[in-house]
Amino acid sequence: MDDSRSHDRPTDAAAADQADDALDPAAMYALLQNQQRSVQAQMGDFVPLISGAWGVAWLLGFGSLWLIDGVEGFSLPVPIAVTVFVAALVLAGGLSAWLGFRTGRGMRGNTGAAFTGIVFGNLWWVGSAAIGILGSGLRAQGMTEQLANFYYPCAYVLFAGIMYIVAGAIWRTVSSVIAGLWLVIVAAVASLFPYPQHYLFLALAAGIGFLALSLTSALRLRRIRRAAAGGDRRG
Amino acid sequence: MDELDPVIHAQARLRIMAALSTLGADGSISFPRLQELLDMTAGNLSTHLRKLEDAAYVDITKAHKGRTPITYLGLSKKGRRAFEDYMETLRTVLGDPK
Repeated sequence: MDDSRSHDRPTDAAAADQADDALDPAAMYALLQNQQRSVQAQMGDFVPLISGAWGVAWLLGFGSLWLIDGVEGFSLPVPIAVTVFVAALVLAGGLSAWLGFRTGRGMRGNTGAAFTGIVFGNLWWVGSAAIGILGSGLRAQGMTEQLANFYYPCAYVLFAGIMYIVAGAIWRTVSSVIAGLWLVIVAAVASLFPYPQHYLFLALAAGIGFLALSLTSALRLRRIRRAAAGGDRRG
Repeated sequence: MDELDPVIHAQARLRIMAALSTLGADGSISFPRLQELLDMTAGNLSTHLRKLEDAAYVDITKAHKGRTPITYLGLSKKGRRAFEDYMETLRTVLGDPK
């Protein structure tokens, strides 16, 4: 290999000879399964971080919007609330993109997989922009500010939920489908709450939901890592 | 007793095949990334990859990122089939047909 600049080092040769040994069939089967689990764990170690970041972002973001009119005797200034909301979402989005890029480094899919990834990745900003433009159009058609307070958050959360479900369907991740379904339900139910309680509902339901997803995926990864380390001989 | 494929039936090569089998069909991975996932030295990985390449179990393609050459590795169709056969034989040997 071009990348191996020192493949003839004696220590490597000795290690290679040792690794040439075969164990008994049961141990080899366990080694095979543990290696697959190890790769799975290393490739999935970003999931708890991303879901945790989004949990905090939903809590802080929608929580700050709720604090504009939600607590009697206290009002968070609108510019601050909006800044916190936007900053939380941008930070969570940036972290997701960076972790996704970091996890995918050095990997190359086939042409079909690359096409799927490009379409899905770009659909995020295309869909978000469309929701924004649609909202502006509706405002121009007479949608009140009161209704806009419902339209924008509910539409974005609904869209995010649908995208999670699509991601789960494409890459066959059940946790993504569950998270997406949860967001779709939360978005729909939020519209039934009065203003500004719908912000509180969005903050708690989406935020706590994603923090719970972060916790369960972290526990699942820990279980996989333990098994990969040889804790489970036969799997 | 069924015979286990001697090309795969070595700890290091089994780990490499198992790791590559997790990639999708026609998927490939760069040499440094595979080395990182397997926690193997470059020399050790290179030695065993050569044996797998000799058996035509691994497809090796060269690409460039800017001026840096990158080697991508993936299971060939023959390699994927050989790995599935190896797993099947192991299960049979272990008396577990699943």
